[in-house]
Amino acid sequence: MSSNKYKILVIEDESNILSFINTILDANNYRVITAKSCNEGKMMFSSHLPDLVMLDLGLPDADGLQFIKYAREFSTVPIIVLSARTEESDKVSALDLGANDYITKPFGTDELLARVRATLRNSRYSADSGVLSGGKFVLHDLIIDYDKRLVTVSGNNIKLTQTEYNIVAYLSAHSGKVLTYQSIIKAIWGASDIGSIKKLQVNMANIRKKIGAVPGENKYIINELGVGYRMCEENS
Amino acid sequence: MKKIIKDSVFAFLILITAFGINMFIKKIFGIDSLIPMIFVLGIFIISLKTDGYITGIVSSVISVFAVNYAFTFPYYAFDLISPECVVSVIVMLIIAVTTSAMTTKIKAQKKAYAESEKEKMRANLLRGISHDLRTPLTSICGSTSAIIENYDILTKDQQIKLLQEIREDSQWLTRMVENLLSVTRIDSQKVRVIKTPTVLEELIDAVMLKFHKRYPQQNVIVNIPEDFISIPMDPLLIEQVIINLLENAIFHAKGMTRLSLDVKTKDDMAIFEISDDGCGIPKDRMDNLFGGYFERVDAPTDSTRNNMGIGLSVCASIIKAHGGEINAENIKEGGVLFRFSLEMEK
Repeated sequence: MSSNKYKILVIEDESNILSFINTILDANNYRVITAKSCNEGKMMFSSHLPDLVMLDLGLPDADGLQFIKYAREFSTVPIIVLSARTEESDKVSALDLGANDYITKPFGTDELLARVRATLRNSRYSADSGVLSGGKFVLHDLIIDYDKRLVTVSGNNIKLTQTEYNIVAYLSAHSGKVLTYQSIIKAIWGASDIGSIKKLQVNMANIRKKIGAVPGENKYIINELGVGYRMCEENS
Repeated sequence: MKKIIKDSVFAFLILITAFGINMFIKKIFGIDSLIPMIFVLGIFIISLKTDGYITGIVSSVISVFAVNYAFTFPYYAFDLISPECVVSVIVMLIIAVTTSAMTTKIKAQKKAYAESEKEKMRANLLRGISHDLRTPLTSICGSTSAIIENYDILTKDQQIKLLQEIREDSQWLTRMVENLLSVTRIDSQKVRVIKTPTVLEELIDAVMLKFHKRYPQQNVIVNIPEDFISIPMDPLLIEQVIINLLENAIFHAKGMTRLSLDVKTKDDMAIFEISDDGCGIPKDRMDNLFGGYFERVDAPTDSTRNNMGIGLSVCASIIKAHGGEINAENIKEGGVLFRFSLEMEK
């Protein structure tokens, strides 16, 4: 077995769920380390230095959010939160605390693996280079040319305003990851006020119209209701 | 505390009114004989409408003083030792106490009745759920043991078929639990739902994405306004409503060839319509379509999955919690139209 597999730390107290995640990840060539409590998770985290953490929010000894706070003090290792449907507000706080993504339980294997891949790829990107340093982003027939600040769909030039382009570029730089309303607002306008979310929603509506999105067949940007937006992953 | 102040103000107003009426009668007609009667009526009303005994008792003492002071000889002076006064105090007190006792008892009974109704509903719900959960659980348990115990005998195709059934059953269980969670979310928050401004287009997009994932074969004709429409809502709950209604058509609209989702605006309301051209809903089910699950007395004896019951009941309670309305009607040309409305952002 090669030793350069990605190391994934899974912190989850339900042993059945743990075993199922373990099996899938192992079958897909990841090395899995498990922990069943927040404290054990912290210990494993500092001794094994994993490439990715999957974290259940409802742990027996402490809130999963505590782990994120702890880890973010000294590490930028990507964290994917496993959340139940009843923990919606926690989901947003987890993202705002520095978690990279979340998966809502119950989830399928495809979804789990896709998120793991996207998150690992994203963290690799931002570790290597400045995200907007140039080059192109390709997603189906949508192409973003960062140098020319140009967006095309099937070769047609899409006329976006400055703000609209900034939003699309920001989302694409973090493709595959959910960005909360607050984080987008902070990145685009700096400060946020009461009308900010509305402003963002109106801009998003214009972007959708310009790139010709049809409800239910949105190929580029996914709406995470009540949380934020996610740009689909780039074609590989 | 608030209730005490409210009761006191109420009693005070009634007493003032009684006093006023008496002054009026005395001035115009010059009769004294009606005066105690008017006050007795006042005391009766006060005891009937207020909580506990105190207000009634205090009011009767006050009215005795009032009668004694203003309407009996010597006028505008107290004469508390006359037998008339003592007797009227006793009579008024008896009226106040018995009326209050009666009202208190009735209120307690009403509360007990409401409690038992709620209890009955909860018991029905529990019975219904347990029954509905048992079927898929039995099949999951059976299929998994079949695979584990006959691993070497079963062909790969057979195993995959069993596993697919397990997956379907567990997906069904997930939806059931999602619905139940929605109900508890509404019940536990007496302050109604937490509404956030949600863009209609984003809502419909999320709904359709989820729906297509579950039913890739089913086409839905979507028609929504072009404008930017923002509606205050709990988006996850409304998402659940639309998915339940679409799912309902898939499960129950036999012979359906068209399923559509339309949203229109009228004044400050957004009107959502989910319609199909299936078999329609029988008249006798129409009356109790949205409350059926909570009120059915006996668990059904057939083993078909009664998802319709709980799905529609959940829809109704979600829309009600949003302050909107939901209804269903059979379309003349065939099929059913479900319609619900929500207030838009001003």
